[in-house]
Amino acid sequence: MTAFFSIIVCQVHDLGRATVAGMGTKRFEGENDMKSFISLSLIITLIAFISGCLLLGKNKEYQPFDTSGLDRLTPGRTMASEVTEMFGAPTEVVKLSNGNAYIYKRSLSKGTGLWLVIVSFGNYDTDCDQLVFFFDQNDVLRHYGVSLNAGKASYGLPF
Amino acid sequence: MGSRSNISLILITFLLSITLLFSACLSYRFIRVVEGDEVVPPGDAFELGKTNLGDVLSVLGAPDKVAELEGKDLLLYERAVLQDSRLSLGIPLLDISGANIDLSGYGTLVLYDRLWLLFTPDRILRQMMFEKGSSHPYLKALFVED
Repeated sequence: MTAFFSIIVCQVHDLGRATVAGMGTKRFEGENDMKSFISLSLIITLIAFISGCLLLGKNKEYQPFDTSGLDRLTPGRTMASEVTEMFGAPTEVVKLSNGNAYIYKRSLSKGTGLWLVIVSFGNYDTDCDQLVFFFDQNDVLRHYGVSLNAGKASYGLPF
Repeated sequence: MGSRSNISLILITFLLSITLLFSACLSYRFIRVVEGDEVVPPGDAFELGKTNLGDVLSVLGAPDKVAELEGKDLLLYERAVLQDSRLSLGIPLLDISGANIDLSGYGTLVLYDRLWLLFTPDRILRQMMFEKGSSHPYLKALFVED
């Protein structure tokens, strides 16, 4: 970065000198110096503000669900044991007024960080794949809900 | 001409020093954390006393939370949006004075979009509530005192 900056300084400075020598008027010399100064100021400011770094991160909990098994589920017939055979141990079991709910949850998070010289931005987006099965008191499946949103987690800036 | 060039170089050096010094002293950070998918308002899709659990699940998918509340079943769809901004101004004087000057201000705001559905034991919709917290403007929500 420093080397790059030095090269630009030398080139712009030499350009100003050469032009001034060719024209030979004081007025033009002053204008040229001013132009060089403005150009360099812009370059310095630009370099100062664009120097930074970008970070992309990903956090994944568990593996995605194999949703092909959902076609084999029949409310009123499928038992809780069949569900656990297909999807494994649930993430959470909730006791309800008239049965139980088995909750399966997989989350995916994507984070983006951008550091510039005086400003920094961070964005962290988490989405989940969720399956919730509602069983009656005899462990027979009554209803189930599916939300597959983990793929919606995205990288990006916070605005 | 030589003196003009020297002045330019001095100005450039001064500008560079100021820029670098400024970058060490002042900083602004903004972070946004979003957890969960967008929660859609139910509108007229559901009718209290008629809609059952299966209807709700087929429209909204799996809920984020399930719980029992005094003999009734609760389904909660939720999205949380956290916004955090921090502005700091510090002058590193440790080497000179033994103490640093550090001024900073920050504000963290978490807004929730929530759909709350309550079912009877026979899984008929009895009550529902929707709140869209994320529609509140960040600065207004942060600075207005309740």
